[in-house]
Amino acid sequence: MTKESFEQALEELEEVVAKLEDESVGLEEALKLFERGVKLAKRCRTQLEGVERRVEQLLAEAAEGEEAKTAPFAPEEE
Amino acid sequence: MSSRTYGVGELIREINAALAGGFGEIWVRGELSGVKVAGSGHRYFQVKDADGQLSCAMWAARADRLRFKLADGQAVLLRGRLEVYAQRGSLSLVVEEVRPEGIGELQLAFEQMKAKLEAEGLFAAERKRPLPALPQRLGLVTSASGAAVRDVLKVLSRWEHLSVLLYPVRVQGKGSEGEVARAVRYLGRSGLVDVVLVVRGGGSLEDLWAFNEEIVARAIAASPVPVVSGVGHEVDFTIADFVADVRAATPTQAAELVVATLEGQQRRVETGHRDLTAGFLRKLEHGRLRLRGLEGARGLARLPLRLKELDQRIQRLEALPQLLRALVAGRRRRAEAAAAHLYRWPVRFGAPRRRELVTARLAVAGERLRSLVARRGLELTGGERALGALSPRRVLERGYSMTTREGDPKPVTNAATVNTGERIVTTFAVGHLRSLVLGRVNGTQGSLFEEEGAGDRAQGTVDKGQDAPHMGQETHDRRRR
Repeated sequence: MTKESFEQALEELEEVVAKLEDESVGLEEALKLFERGVKLAKRCRTQLEGVERRVEQLLAEAAEGEEAKTAPFAPEEE
Repeated sequence: MSSRTYGVGELIREINAALAGGFGEIWVRGELSGVKVAGSGHRYFQVKDADGQLSCAMWAARADRLRFKLADGQAVLLRGRLEVYAQRGSLSLVVEEVRPEGIGELQLAFEQMKAKLEAEGLFAAERKRPLPALPQRLGLVTSASGAAVRDVLKVLSRWEHLSVLLYPVRVQGKGSEGEVARAVRYLGRSGLVDVVLVVRGGGSLEDLWAFNEEIVARAIAASPVPVVSGVGHEVDFTIADFVADVRAATPTQAAELVVATLEGQQRRVETGHRDLTAGFLRKLEHGRLRLRGLEGARGLARLPLRLKELDQRIQRLEALPQLLRALVAGRRRRAEAAAAHLYRWPVRFGAPRRRELVTARLAVAGERLRSLVARRGLELTGGERALGALSPRRVLERGYSMTTREGDPKPVTNAATVNTGERIVTTFAVGHLRSLVLGRVNGTQGSLFEEEGAGDRAQGTVDKGQDAPHMGQETHDRRRR
């Protein structure tokens, strides 16, 4: 999933919410919107929490197609 | 008086010797004009004041070490030696050092670089990119041992879901600008990061100099991913700050921007989700209100049963996310009040037909919701919360209770299946009651929404701390009178 799709999903979620506010939307439609919205919210959350916490420092630059050498990093105490 | 005759070259050599002896190394104050850079890299210019001008030459090896660029109109102090250039026979000042007057050398260099890059449009607002929507993978360009890296990581620790890749560099001293530029270039192109933070703690103009160098500015400008600068203190502006997509006043603030972006996005998602459920509940409540109103209108005998099913379905739905329940509680009170009013819907408004319509639609909706819950109950609010809300225990906590026959864990859902004299166990959120059935209350056809079995009388013991009816069976038997 790309960053764009996070932004898009979030915007769509907000649109869905706005539609639900509409008086003329019936129960059937509301249910569809709700389902869609739940899906979107879930997708957003998944992305928002999709990166694991990690602090590393680069040991050596990697050439094209190679993996960069890294090591965990913790700053020295004062 | 004898006149001596010289060869030209010889004379010039003599003059130069005399100049060296008579003047040696001198300082000349004036204004630059006609500055030219030759193909060889040597600089040629005039220095002048109101009364005269003098040709100057500065060899490339010296001139390239200047931090600022020689330019017409600059007021300067020049250090050098006078010399006649034999090929042309003209007098020049061969310049060793140039000091700007009235402004520091670094300040001048800074102003020059700023003007140059600004003219190129490198600082233009339209070049600036915002932070990415999810700045989760950060490239960090700074010293591994400074206060800046500590400050940044401290702020970043507020957000669980991000990764940091530090490219350690020297942030001051000769060659540091090359390291910073290289790091920015590498991280930007590595595909490993969404955003690059270029930071350094406070220091003198000299200390921060690397961040005023053109090579750093060019690297930042060319970065494929947005760059946030946070160099020095609030008052310090560096060229890097001007060219960065986002300028933070300090390293700490650079990190704050990232975390605030992520927190803001999370707020948006949670608000969206909350409004979504609230909006949907309003729709459901609205549907239910209409049903209640219709039920109140004179009508069909079969209807209450179907309505009751629907009501149960809606209640099951309400039991979904814990979040929803709180919302429903308030809404239900209001709904109850409104329902009283709706009871008076006249039949002539076509109530029976609409009733059918609403009933059918609610039935479909209820069915779909039930399968939705079954399929994706866990997804609804993500894990635990939904799980908790779906558990029978939570339902019990809302004041419902479950009745089972002794020795049979299946819930009793119809009073007609229990005979007088049978023993039943009622499970509450906390504890159970064993009861002896005295009799059945007639009137299951009564109003849909009235509690049934309100007339049941019960006797029994409270058994605290038991979670499930079947688990409590033995205990109950032992404790019976």
